Amino acid sequence: MSLSFHHTVLANGLEIVGEHNPQAQSVALGYFVKTGSRDESPEISGVSHFLEHMMFKGTAKRSASDINREFDELGANYNAFTSEERTVYYGAVVAEKAPLLLDLLSDMMRPALRQEDFEVEKKVILEEIAMYQDRVQARLFDKLNQNYFRGHPLGNSVLGTSQSISDLSREQMQDYFTARYAPNNMLLCVSGRYDWSEILNQVSQLTQAWQRQDSSRLYPTLNPASGKDDFEDAKVQRIHVAVSSPGFAAQDERVYAANILAYCIGGGVGSRLYWALEDKGLVDSVSFWHDSADGLGNFMAYLSMAKERYQEVMDIFYGSLAALKDKTISEEEWLRAKRKIATALTLRGETPFGRLMSFGSDYQYRQEYTSVREAVDKIMAVPLAAGQLSLEKQDFYSLSLKPALKVVG
Amino acid sequence: MLQQLDNIFFSELDNGIRIAVEEMPWLPSVSLRFVLPSGTIYDVGGMEGSSVILCDWMERGAGDKDSRSLIDSFNDLGVRRGSGVDKESLAFSASCLAEVLSPTLALYADIIRCPILADDEFTSAQQVALESLASLDDEPVSRLFIALSEAFFKSVHGRSGYGSKEGLLASNPKQLRDDFKRRISPQGLIISAAGGLKAESFVAEIQNLFGDWQGATIPAPEFELAESSYHHLSEDTAQTQIGVAYRGIAPGQAGWEEDLIAMNALSGGMASRLFSEVREKRGLVYSVSASGRQLKGFGYNLAYAGTTPERAQETLSVLLAELSKLYEGIAEQEHERAKTGILSNLIMQGESSAARASSLARSYYLLGEPRSLEVSKVAISQKSLADVNRFLHAQPKPRFSVLTLGAKALEGVA
Repeated sequence: MSLSFHHTVLANGLEIVGEHNPQAQSVALGYFVKTGSRDESPEISGVSHFLEHMMFKGTAKRSASDINREFDELGANYNAFTSEERTVYYGAVVAEKAPLLLDLLSDMMRPALRQEDFEVEKKVILEEIAMYQDRVQARLFDKLNQNYFRGHPLGNSVLGTSQSISDLSREQMQDYFTARYAPNNMLLCVSGRYDWSEILNQVSQLTQAWQRQDSSRLYPTLNPASGKDDFEDAKVQRIHVAVSSPGFAAQDERVYAANILAYCIGGGVGSRLYWALEDKGLVDSVSFWHDSADGLGNFMAYLSMAKERYQEVMDIFYGSLAALKDKTISEEEWLRAKRKIATALTLRGETPFGRLMSFGSDYQYRQEYTSVREAVDKIMAVPLAAGQLSLEKQDFYSLSLKPALKVVG
Repeated sequence: MLQQLDNIFFSELDNGIRIAVEEMPWLPSVSLRFVLPSGTIYDVGGMEGSSVILCDWMERGAGDKDSRSLIDSFNDLGVRRGSGVDKESLAFSASCLAEVLSPTLALYADIIRCPILADDEFTSAQQVALESLASLDDEPVSRLFIALSEAFFKSVHGRSGYGSKEGLLASNPKQLRDDFKRRISPQGLIISAAGGLKAESFVAEIQNLFGDWQGATIPAPEFELAESSYHHLSEDTAQTQIGVAYRGIAPGQAGWEEDLIAMNALSGGMASRLFSEVREKRGLVYSVSASGRQLKGFGYNLAYAGTTPERAQETLSVLLAELSKLYEGIAEQEHERAKTGILSNLIMQGESSAARASSLARSYYLLGEPRSLEVSKVAISQKSLADVNRFLHAQPKPRFSVLTLGAKALEGVA
């Protein structure tokens, strides 16, 4: 594949990057806005995610149903998501339709935020909050974030609460939008088959009225929790455990080693935790991964098991982690993990849509372009010693949701 | 004898194995799929879920490799793997870099033809299946669909891909080893591949690895539907979960493409009827959808909505009304959008090796021949608005099986 990289910054600060693939049939486009729940104050908790919904509800020249209809008329594969630190709007279409998709997505980035749409969508958000209340992993990780981050904004809830959403006004959302959706706080990412000069011309015109703002983000120091907390949860039948411990920021070169290490520990079949727990059916699920964010990162784990096995499972889990401190990972394990990651990267790189997400988020964090080939080479070059370094002082915090004791009588 | 249709190649070996390949020469990767007609509907009565154990057990050591060395071998090659059981099939899937395709195929030939099936590994596989079933205790939406399927089918097709606790516990190594010989056979095995490979050498390699294997066909059970019904599972959930099942169109049957287009108009994109009526106009839900499910020789539709209890009654009535109203016909713009959506998805599917390998195996299984993207595109493009509406008007009034899970039962369900 002969890929090429394109990059420019417009006068208003909007950065545009592209990875051109002449073999592709389709093109994927995405606006990556550097904003999320970590940029919210408590009184507007959940506004980033609610705003993401409102961006589909119409602009000065399009109604909500116009937007939905146009996406469908383009045959687009499209959606949006909000995380703690990023809100992304994306779509993929056959290459010839790129200008239409670009027009639609760019227009959406300047929403009308009409009061009547705001009221209807508020109900949808409240339903979404209720939906996640029925999902045990969502309850678990919400609680983990609250406790582990101890007030650091990365622990803020993406959805907010029923109360914060009910109390939120359209004006608060408008102010948040103005501060955060400034061109200098956004990245437009393009992947697949496209004409770079046409894209540039079109984007320059579509975004010329967008105004720069001070959209800075706070980076307080994290003083994470350690130790162990247990909560009774009347709705669970099994025990669910989430674990977190400091790792490395997305901008830190050591994330490559941290990812490989996490794969060795709990990256599916053949990993340490697979053999210790999953192979024998002691748990229904166990995974261990490294989650890198803007400015800091964490190792994370999730386990789910029958309540009778809790002690046995957690002893084995911590025993497996403790064993790593003695540098017991072999060259073979290290190499296997690297190969698995390399295959996964290559597969994700097959389609413009798959590539958009890794390319866009990687660029937004690191301001440098890495092709799939280069990323694979980088991973394969990480020595085992690098992984052993990243393990040395691990202090894990764990939080468990346990079935409530039933009162008989 | 290698046949060619557009950019796909297919062949049937003397022992019944069917092979389909799509060459995507620009890709450095290859995806594979092995589909055996050996899902839960083929489980011996009283041992529901034994196929789930069998699938896992087969991967716990094969040929001259025990469980650990087999998994190490896959990981040495960097292969990404999946396996699983559904109503009809037991399937293995894999993606790897093209240069390690041959050793990857050899490992799968061992898993399918000569798994070790050791006693101690049976115990682990059984325990994993029991754990997986138990995990449903904390997943209300999964339980909703399992219960709905059981209520909709009278035949064994109501079985889920998890099995039952009794069935899993009743399974034993001796019986399952015999069952392996009965149900894992070249007759009905479909092997598909897509990506940076050559069809001719791939087929030769399969011939080499599987050509001398012989086995019998096992007959598929007949379909039987239950009377349409309403059931409620009382649970303390924040949302009331609503599931609906009703008869659809069998794959390959006349009207199949028309049905695909109509279902896309109903629940394809955000301009589709369900999204716009239930969510956009009324704000009743976050999640609402309907989609067709295909089994060999039978099709049915499933619809879902989740909403808070006080709005559940209204959500159910809007949902059922929209499902019924579809059969009154769709408008020209809906027809255009639906076709564009399906065609665009097909084009994008053509960029992913895993999507193509899966689609080739699926069409080979459901239709008796693998479908190229070009054939699928033409079949959809040809269907006019009049074709779709003629089809919709000719359909009998849908009879819904409804199941709800939540705080309280709903009313007004026939």
